[in-house]
Amino acid sequence: MAPEPPLLTMSGITKSFPGVRALDGVDLDVQAGEVHCLLGQNGAGKSTLIKVLAGAHQPDTGTIRWRGEPVTLRSPIAAMRLGVATIYQELDLVEHLSVAENVHLGHEPTAAGFVVRGRAARASTAALLARLGHPEIDPSRLVGALSAAQQQIVSMARALSHDVRLIVMDEPSAALDPDEVDNLFRSVQDLTAQGVAVVYISHRLEEIRRIGDRVTVLKDGRAVAGGLPAKTTPTREVVALMTGRNVEYVFPERPAAGSVPAGPPVLQVRGLARDGEFAPLDLDLHPGEIVGLAGLVGSGRSEILETVYGARKPSAGQVLVDGRPLRPGSVRAAVRAGLGLAPEERKAQALLMLESVTRNVSVSSMSRFSHGGWIDRSAEFGAARAATRELSLRPDNPSVPVRTLSGGNQQKAVLARWLLRGCRVLLLDEPTRGVDVGARAELYAVVRRLADEGLAVLLVSSEVPEVLGLADRVLVLREGHVVHTAPARDLDEHRVLDLVMEGSPAT
Amino acid sequence: MTQPVSPPRDSTDKVPPVGQHLTWRDMMARADVRTLSLLGVLAVLVVIGGITKPDEFLDTRNLQLVLTQASVIGVVTVGMTFVITSGGIDLSVGAIVALASVWATTVATQEYGFGGILLTAVLVGLGCGLVNGLLIAYGAMVPFIATLAMLASARGLALQITDGRTQIVTIDGVLELGERDSYVLGVPPLVLVFAVVTVIGWLLLNRTTFGRRTVAVGGNPEAARLAGIDVRRQRLYLYLLSGLCCGIAAFLLIVLSGSGQNTNGNLYELDAIAAAIIGGTLLSGGRGTITGSVLGVLIFTTITNIFALNNLQSDVQQIAKGAIIVAAVLVQRRTASTT
Amino acid sequence: MSHLTSRRGLLFGTAAVSAGALLTGCTSNEPKDEKPAADDKPADDKRGKEVTIGFAGPQADHGWLNAINDNAKSRARNYQDVTLEITEGSNDTATQIGQIETLINKKVDVLVVLPADGKALTQVGLKAMRAGIPVVNLDRVFNTPQAYRCWIGGDNYGMGLNAGHYIGEKLKGRSNAKVIELAGLDNLELTQQRTKGFDDALKNYPNIRKVARQAADFTVESGQAKMAQLLQAQPKFDAVWNHDDDQGVGALRAVEQAGRDDFLMVGGAGALSAFQAIKQDDGVLKATVLYPPTMAASAIDLARALGQGKGVGGLAEHEIPASITLYSAVVDKDNVEQYMSTGFR
Repeated sequence: MAPEPPLLTMSGITKSFPGVRALDGVDLDVQAGEVHCLLGQNGAGKSTLIKVLAGAHQPDTGTIRWRGEPVTLRSPIAAMRLGVATIYQELDLVEHLSVAENVHLGHEPTAAGFVVRGRAARASTAALLARLGHPEIDPSRLVGALSAAQQQIVSMARALSHDVRLIVMDEPSAALDPDEVDNLFRSVQDLTAQGVAVVYISHRLEEIRRIGDRVTVLKDGRAVAGGLPAKTTPTREVVALMTGRNVEYVFPERPAAGSVPAGPPVLQVRGLARDGEFAPLDLDLHPGEIVGLAGLVGSGRSEILETVYGARKPSAGQVLVDGRPLRPGSVRAAVRAGLGLAPEERKAQALLMLESVTRNVSVSSMSRFSHGGWIDRSAEFGAARAATRELSLRPDNPSVPVRTLSGGNQQKAVLARWLLRGCRVLLLDEPTRGVDVGARAELYAVVRRLADEGLAVLLVSSEVPEVLGLADRVLVLREGHVVHTAPARDLDEHRVLDLVMEGSPAT
Repeated sequence: MTQPVSPPRDSTDKVPPVGQHLTWRDMMARADVRTLSLLGVLAVLVVIGGITKPDEFLDTRNLQLVLTQASVIGVVTVGMTFVITSGGIDLSVGAIVALASVWATTVATQEYGFGGILLTAVLVGLGCGLVNGLLIAYGAMVPFIATLAMLASARGLALQITDGRTQIVTIDGVLELGERDSYVLGVPPLVLVFAVVTVIGWLLLNRTTFGRRTVAVGGNPEAARLAGIDVRRQRLYLYLLSGLCCGIAAFLLIVLSGSGQNTNGNLYELDAIAAAIIGGTLLSGGRGTITGSVLGVLIFTTITNIFALNNLQSDVQQIAKGAIIVAAVLVQRRTASTT
Repeated sequence: MSHLTSRRGLLFGTAAVSAGALLTGCTSNEPKDEKPAADDKPADDKRGKEVTIGFAGPQADHGWLNAINDNAKSRARNYQDVTLEITEGSNDTATQIGQIETLINKKVDVLVVLPADGKALTQVGLKAMRAGIPVVNLDRVFNTPQAYRCWIGGDNYGMGLNAGHYIGEKLKGRSNAKVIELAGLDNLELTQQRTKGFDDALKNYPNIRKVARQAADFTVESGQAKMAQLLQAQPKFDAVWNHDDDQGVGALRAVEQAGRDDFLMVGGAGALSAFQAIKQDDGVLKATVLYPPTMAASAIDLARALGQGKGVGGLAEHEIPASITLYSAVVDKDNVEQYMSTGFR
């Protein structure tokens, strides 16, 4: 036992958002000088927990102790003063400033209170970079000219420029090449050797084995296991901890085996690829069939959907609808051929937030209610209402602004848009993101019903149970490659997680 | 599709008044508040004008005068409202009006008579709008920069054509249109054109697919693209529309002033943007109101009128104009948030 | 849908092409008779020493300024012994300074400068003088007489004064006479001077009261707008003094549109259109006060005299004067014929 109390102790942390209990009594303790890994599926509560730790969210209940003393982290600044720095996935560096300027942003060394002492800033930055084992980074270079890995290092240097005792790193390796990851790990080890604690979040088990000291596994807002030895706990045990669910979603029944139409596919993808995003992909999608793409963030899932839809231009291959190739890189061609996309970022990519539900639903089929450009508004309203009623959208009044709807109903508005358009292939990207647990089952039922009516659905989700529960057939993706294809009924969550994390079945 | 399609908007009552959920009526009420507050500002101005200069201000001739003076900038503002609603901006409107008005009044053009002047003004406007639209929609230039470049070039070309001279119009048909004899039931033809442009603009924005696409492109261009709207073509059309409005406005200005001069349309871009914004069109795009824009134009024109009638000098007028812009926006925001 | 669009596209293309053809034809702006204003009065055509005159003026964005350039050019063309180096006009102080410095470096014999801004260009005037190049300062005056050898320009105060006197005499004996003023651009000092001269003149006529004044910014558009409002504001008045004939085009248009003819109007500057209206005598415009662009022709005369070391013919002195203020003559029906050729477009 350590003679002194742990650097950080969080106990019984709960945090609720409208409709979701994101953290449900989480315990976490971190020792000085250790790398403590946080594992968990999407939605397990990892990001909420680190936001609490960074002072960005206030917990509803629970206590946080720092070196044994109770503290409250009222704001990111308070956390920073205490010595907690967080490096988010989206690096918050200013590209047009130099490395030294970024490192000292907001606390520049000054003379007479306002004259920035550039040389002093560069010198101290160089010292920090050396401490991280990266003296080769020039403090006067622009951050925008650095590689992603070097930018990570700069972020760490920035954290160290405050007197930091604990650094939280949120999937730092996601955008890095293998040898860059090696560099990063060296820096992390240098830090811990100096007594700094690191909370490390990653999906990749092999990384956790290499660098971690202890592992805490989160699931459904709880810490299901705390302080497991990172090097020796068997993979199977970790995966079991991550997947053993309490809440099971109710998925609609699949059609009986063999009822997936054997007729010609409505959508054919042939050798479709985008350099740096995903490798050549072949896929057939039949009317009435739901095909799922499972994979981690960055595995190319959304990119595949958007390329099929024409929103991104492929570097090779083609997409055929009813055997006829679509013009590559043209959304309009795809929509005209009967494709519809419910994108990942609903608010940013699908909805007109200032407009009513009616107008959001009718936007892709305006020609149906217009004669010579003149909109027949009662026909439009009637059609929008019919479509939203068919999906049981609430409130049952398409005149309300779409921004007032809940996440699930906003998603239904997007589905209603394509239903009204009479689309034949629906591309669903993270359909339940931001949707309440209770509303999910309803959404699943809707999607299955549409499929039963003849719609072909291509589904992308980072929630493995969702893909397994809803899809008929699953393609497992890892870093842009399809590593496995199988009927959903032949897969389980455990196996899919093995596949997406390690690329090979670990049994 | 189990429910029959019932007549629109009767279901409002069935909707439970849940927290932040806005009903259609609430939205209408809110839209009305915005319009009402503008009408309120206008009413206050009318009262001020009526008190300070009862005989001169409250007079049919003065009404004709105010509306006539509002016509030119009003037509420009209708076009500008579309561009701003789509998330763009057109800084070149004043310069296009200047270029179109001088191009249409050269010695050579005047030889073609009335039709030549009208057609040239409209075509020059459309041509400039086409260049703007192509640069912005297909050349991926920022609207601010593209139209700023057009501002500089069109003003320069206008100066080159005129050599700084005032080109006097000698075509009787054009001149008569601006005179009392051609008033239709007391309405000056310029005001009629303004009214027609306003009505067409309102219908276009609120009742057609063109208007819907404009709002969609302004509200969320990425969502519009993914919904299958040809965003670039829509942008091209919008700058063409603005150019067309400038061409029409240039013709009105030729009729009004009986001449073409390269200084025409001075700072129209600012007046049109200001009128659209105090009218309630969002500068960031996604929401636009023709009614509001026209009220904004009328407010500015009425202020100018009252100041001139009271013999206040241009320095005071400019200060007051700035103050009114701020006040109108603040009043609107307050009334909109307390309802 | 798709063929519809393409047909529309085709139609549009055709329209655009024919529009282009029509429009390019229409930029032509050749006036029927380009008669240089000051051609008919050669000053001294005895050929003398060769003189190179550098001329720098502002951007000709106004009829009057354009007339200045025309006068200078045609006057110089009259002299076989004069070479005129004329710069591209600019309203930007820095650009104009650069242009004048270029002329200094080219070692022209004499400089004629109409500064965009007199005060801001004083330094470059001094520089030329120190380099031994005499400067004829045209109209907008430098800060110090050291910066020019000779200044020649119009009399803004005198314009207002003469306009006031003309109106005063016309309204003599009319009790409670009202006048209004349509001023130029209030930002410019010359506008204030014209207004002051006018006000001073009116002090001699106790029966006349100035009841309104609006600034019309020297543009036709604003001239029309402001005059229309003034007409509405003043249902009855006797005379209007308009600072500028260019904006007067708009003002006269407003008068015509309001159907008013119960007052007299006096313009300013001396535009051809104003002269023609005065000659026809069928409208409210009865006179205009000169601010003659012929001063540019005289400036060339002075520059040539300086270059050849001569005085001004008709004066006793051997040297040309240090300063010449032109008289702002009033042109009305009686003498308009005599000025017709100096009218600018």
